[in-house]
Amino acid sequence: MTKTTRPILLGIALSCLAAISNAQAKEQLILAIGGEPEQGFDPLLGWGQYGNPLFQSTLLSRDKDLSPQPELATEWSLSEDRLTWTLTLRDDARFSDGTSLTAADVAYTFNTAAQAGGRADLSALAEAAAVDEKTVTLRLHSPRITFIDQLLTLGIVPHAKRKNGYNDSYGRYPLGSGPYQLVEWQEGEQLIVERNPYFYGPSPAFDRLVFLFTGEDATLSAAHAGQADIAAIPPALAANVPADMQRVIMESVDNRGILFPMQPSNGEHAASGAPIGNDVTADPAIRQAINLAVDRDMLVEVALHGFGRPAFGPADGLPWSSDEERIDAPDLAQAKDILDAAGWELQDDGLRYKEGLPARFRLTYPSSDTTRQLLAEVSAEMVRPLGIEMQPTGRHWDDIQRHALHQDAILFGFGSHSPQEVYYLFHSQHAGNGYYNSGFYTNSEVDAHLDAAQAAPSTEQANRHWQAAQWDGTTGYGLRGDASWAWLVNLEHVYFADTCLDVGELGVAPHGHGWPITANLLEWRWACD
Amino acid sequence: MRLIPRIAKRLGRLALVLLCVALVSFGLMMLSPIDPVDAYLGPQVAQVSPEQRALIAERWGFDAPPAVQLGHWLRQFASGDLGWSHVYNQPVSDVIGQRFQRSIVLLAGAWLVSALLGFALGVMAGAKEGSPLDNVISTYAYLTASTPAFWLAMLAVLLFSVTLGWAPTCCAGPAGVLDQDVTLATRLHHLVLPVATLALLGIANITLHTRTRMIELMRSDVATHAFAQGASRFDVAWRHGLRHASLPAVTLAFASLGELFGGSILIEQVFAYPGLGQATVAAGLRSDISLLLGIALFTALFVSIGNLVADTLYGVIDPRLTTGGS
Repeated sequence: MTKTTRPILLGIALSCLAAISNAQAKEQLILAIGGEPEQGFDPLLGWGQYGNPLFQSTLLSRDKDLSPQPELATEWSLSEDRLTWTLTLRDDARFSDGTSLTAADVAYTFNTAAQAGGRADLSALAEAAAVDEKTVTLRLHSPRITFIDQLLTLGIVPHAKRKNGYNDSYGRYPLGSGPYQLVEWQEGEQLIVERNPYFYGPSPAFDRLVFLFTGEDATLSAAHAGQADIAAIPPALAANVPADMQRVIMESVDNRGILFPMQPSNGEHAASGAPIGNDVTADPAIRQAINLAVDRDMLVEVALHGFGRPAFGPADGLPWSSDEERIDAPDLAQAKDILDAAGWELQDDGLRYKEGLPARFRLTYPSSDTTRQLLAEVSAEMVRPLGIEMQPTGRHWDDIQRHALHQDAILFGFGSHSPQEVYYLFHSQHAGNGYYNSGFYTNSEVDAHLDAAQAAPSTEQANRHWQAAQWDGTTGYGLRGDASWAWLVNLEHVYFADTCLDVGELGVAPHGHGWPITANLLEWRWACD
Repeated sequence: MRLIPRIAKRLGRLALVLLCVALVSFGLMMLSPIDPVDAYLGPQVAQVSPEQRALIAERWGFDAPPAVQLGHWLRQFASGDLGWSHVYNQPVSDVIGQRFQRSIVLLAGAWLVSALLGFALGVMAGAKEGSPLDNVISTYAYLTASTPAFWLAMLAVLLFSVTLGWAPTCCAGPAGVLDQDVTLATRLHHLVLPVATLALLGIANITLHTRTRMIELMRSDVATHAFAQGASRFDVAWRHGLRHASLPAVTLAFASLGELFGGSILIEQVFAYPGLGQATVAAGLRSDISLLLGIALFTALFVSIGNLVADTLYGVIDPRLTTGGS
């Protein structure tokens, strides 16, 4: 937007706002944060896996530091053999039709979701059973501490056998025990919800919420025209804040980083036909030098317009990641020493060579993603003075899968509320399994830590093992160990919110901009009269 | 007069066309590089176990070989079932039905406006060839004919919705209002901008063709004869020109139904208007074969019927066309 149109736009937005905002905004909050589930609001198919399920409630909830808190379940325990969860439900939970939520509903939800073939992954569950009205047990195939994610995200639906129970059209007519109930869903347009009178928790501050499902452009237009109280905004467009709105920033572990192929190339191919291995990146000296050379603060400024923070691991700031994994400032001198020591010699053409092999490899990014393109190109410039040539290459995801995935360095994005992701990314068992561990990282010590974490009796104890996988004093997947990745940045998710809207203390968002901001929806307040 | 064989032949051809459309669309989907399981998982692509991926593929039939998938779909289709859309978790017929209700208003509005306005402008320009009016209309038509619709739509939103605040920025109704409470006036208010931009697409084409035909007529013997008898240009245009010039307009108007469908996909994206266009994009990008085939067939049927109507109207407009040929 040019400088001349900005004041005009703001002026108009201001007058529009003055005309409509005060009358409506208090009892009705309009959110343009995307996140429409085309399949409907059916937890068994994955609704709620990415933030607040709104209509349903979950057995446990996460607090700010992601540790589990009571929700539907007041008490929970994991058996000695780590195979059986036993949970006691609260007495006052009711569906929005007034009927009580019982252990039978919980067992039905878990058993059906395990068969449903949706986005909710319950493959670890053997069987859920209702012991009595208020007690439910969940039995697993094998010890897996990350199964607790499903206690945190799977919304409970009413048993199919009861009145108003679960059926094929549940996604469009959801019935749950969450804070809100559905009034109308105009598909592709908006969702209108109202307070559930039977909700057991504190009454939410807003009677009625309207979620607009508009694209980026329409969302921005709506924000500028004063038609939304909160809107998700791409960082590139976040400079120009509408009048009467303010920028709200949500931290995230929505990260971007460079994955290195860890194996030397020896002619092997993955099941997909993609060649495996890269002789340059297989050398730890190269990976460590790159990690030392990239200026992450500058990447945040250049590629993210300042809306981000440096990344040093897959889950910075989360309990299963170590705070000690960090590089305060780029250190080219040390990077050069490492390369020299490893036998990479600088030659006249400005490139380093080791036994005739030039320090040159492709850095592949999905061509549709301009942020990743910027990150690739800028970081390539940053390591060039070392004598390492990373060649930024844009490809389609399909092309990446068939050719580049296991032989090029890839600019990936991950970030999850579950340490399960760490397991997928670094356990040798998942080497070459789609996007997981596509660099074929293999370290038996790390595998042992990851397995110990899964077998731990509690999330707190598991977290210690997850951290040890990153660095246990001698080895690890992290910076100080094998430096299997060069993590670059964590995004910040930007929203424009009405200056009267108090969104409380936001947590840390996972990969995905939009719906996750609703995680603390019940704490939101309207601060004006 | 041999009506039944003719209709039978028409229907036979239509069935063949639909079958071809289905086969080609299916073939294209099979060639598409999109992994259906990845597309199904969307942002959660890196959150599920390999076991769950297998379960998803099995549940939604992604893992079956192409021939089996096609056979399954054809069997369903033969029994009158369009299949199940995994993107919307709903029968395909329901998805198309719901979305088409929204789209038809947009399409019909744009179609009528473009046909009538395009024809009227073309007649006016052609009747007065070389006049300032002709120049203005022709210039306008050439300009809009070479303007991409989505770009025009974005400009329209910026000007009328954001800057001037005259039209809503999106959607088929206002935020927070239940469907049943939306008044007709509000509906129309939300339709004006999308209809206008979509109509602009068709207007130019029809105008230019009508104009050419009109100019031809004005230079013909019939017109010269009429002028000699003292008729004004307006008289000639009205009495002889309209019928003459309407043939290309009718052809174009009905033949452009397909283009209109294509245009509506873009327009619906820009205005966040929830019609069939959005569903088509979702089906294509997320490998929803049943839904995409359903929409392709539906569109093909729609366009074929349009052509059929155009053919029939020819006979009415120009009786010479019915007698010749078999």
